[in-house]
Amino acid sequence: MNFWFSVLRQTGRNLRQTWPTQFMTCLTVSLSVLIFSFFYLVYLNMLTAGDKVSDDLRLVVFLEDEPGPEMQEQLRNKITQFDPVQEIKFISKKEAYDRFAEQLGDNREVLTDMPTDFLPPSIEVIPFKNFRSLKQIKLFADYLATIPGSQKVQYGQKWVERFYSFTQLLSIIVLLSGLLLFLTASFMVASTIRLTIFGRQEELELLKLVGATNNYIRTPFLLEGLMQGFLGSFLGLTALYTLFQWFIRHFSGAGFLDIIPFSFFSPGIIATILLASIALCTIGSYTSMQKFLRV
Amino acid sequence: MTTTRPAPSRTAMIEIIKVSKEYPPHMTALSDISVSVASGEMFFVIGKSGAGKTTLLKLLCNMERPSNGLIEVAGMNINQITGNKLAKLRQRVGMAYQDFRLLADRTVAENIAISMEVSYKKPQIISERVKSLLAQLQLEDKHDDLTGNLSRGEQQRVALARAVANSPTLILVDEPTGNLDAISTAQVMDLLSKCTLSGATVVIVTHDDAIYRHTHHRVMKLDQGRIAALSQGNHI
Repeated sequence: MNFWFSVLRQTGRNLRQTWPTQFMTCLTVSLSVLIFSFFYLVYLNMLTAGDKVSDDLRLVVFLEDEPGPEMQEQLRNKITQFDPVQEIKFISKKEAYDRFAEQLGDNREVLTDMPTDFLPPSIEVIPFKNFRSLKQIKLFADYLATIPGSQKVQYGQKWVERFYSFTQLLSIIVLLSGLLLFLTASFMVASTIRLTIFGRQEELELLKLVGATNNYIRTPFLLEGLMQGFLGSFLGLTALYTLFQWFIRHFSGAGFLDIIPFSFFSPGIIATILLASIALCTIGSYTSMQKFLRV
Repeated sequence: MTTTRPAPSRTAMIEIIKVSKEYPPHMTALSDISVSVASGEMFFVIGKSGAGKTTLLKLLCNMERPSNGLIEVAGMNINQITGNKLAKLRQRVGMAYQDFRLLADRTVAENIAISMEVSYKKPQIISERVKSLLAQLQLEDKHDDLTGNLSRGEQQRVALARAVANSPTLILVDEPTGNLDAISTAQVMDLLSKCTLSGATVVIVTHDDAIYRHTHHRVMKLDQGRIAALSQGNHI
């Protein structure tokens, strides 16, 4: 009989004797993983949506008068003085009219009696993709408002602000649920192991006296922590995947949700969550042993 | 103080040199004990309650440390070894405790098997050894009984079986016949004699004069933590 056979048998015996406590701990770990990974998944998908929004982000500067070629160059220089941008487009009154008519589609006859120059000329500024924080966009918009001849700057302020606030709130929730996962995984497992140690003090003492090595006594507890970490996170992630599939089946293609390309975690992230959970539970088990198991 | 050496032809399994044990604040359990026990010897330690017999056994299996002096088991200072070395040494030492230290929620077989499992013996060997020991102690029918349901006498024999199960080179036994009738006492002594014949050193702590009255082995009498007498034994 080798070391691992003995240790696995001992672990099996421990699990049989303390399965209600072990089950509750496993359930707590899986719930924590579910809560954390749920918010993390929402956060990641919102970041993807944010990327999409950023792709479409453009600042429109409405001008008093249509600039001539020379002034266009001056304005171009003025804009790039603040920060290099991806593209600057000058929209004349006529172009603005044509775009509007195109947007109206079948209802374009409402423009029949309107003059073709009733819309103001504008400059469309498309920032680089790395230019994404709300603060940067606001500063840039304020700067553009100071350009001579500019009447108003628009970039869907309210929508963008709300979106960024929501993403920020989500990142806080992800951090908090990560903390919850950390606390439950490490402390719950530590408490379970501690209870097991207290319940089996007599046996552990005897094992020492008959010549069990420290590893023989400790390894089953480490394995319990490891198994709780793995099973807990596996169950949590499986529950999340089931929820995700249900959500996709029932809500994809509906309304505004269609703009967000929902996706589940990549294999790398799944492996990281599993490993982190296993590591936390094993560390919890180890610290408990160091404190309460005098071997 | 009395000092006795085993016959020169035999190597010493236990060397106890000027060992004292004190418990705070002023309780002296053992004082200035020096004795050697040879490999393969059966050695009796007798004395009244509180004479220091059990304390001596606890020092020998490293459950406690002496306040002064040196204890060597199989040539190793047992108070200086730790970790895996201590574990390996303990695998070679079988002890039957006065309070048995059995796991009440485990079967008789499981209790006896523990001492062999820690040395990674094969399950088949463990099973055969357990059955053989139970047969020698007339406990075959108790194989699957929980030790918590056994009588004191049966528990005592299970504790002894566990102590000898791993074929240790040193067997320490504390009051092995305290709860036994004459027949069971004879069975226990027979088992311990077999162990001695197969080369194990056996130290028996007892106040049951029936088992040492006519012995040809050495007998050490303790009184208030000191060696009061040490018979030389017929075999030396």
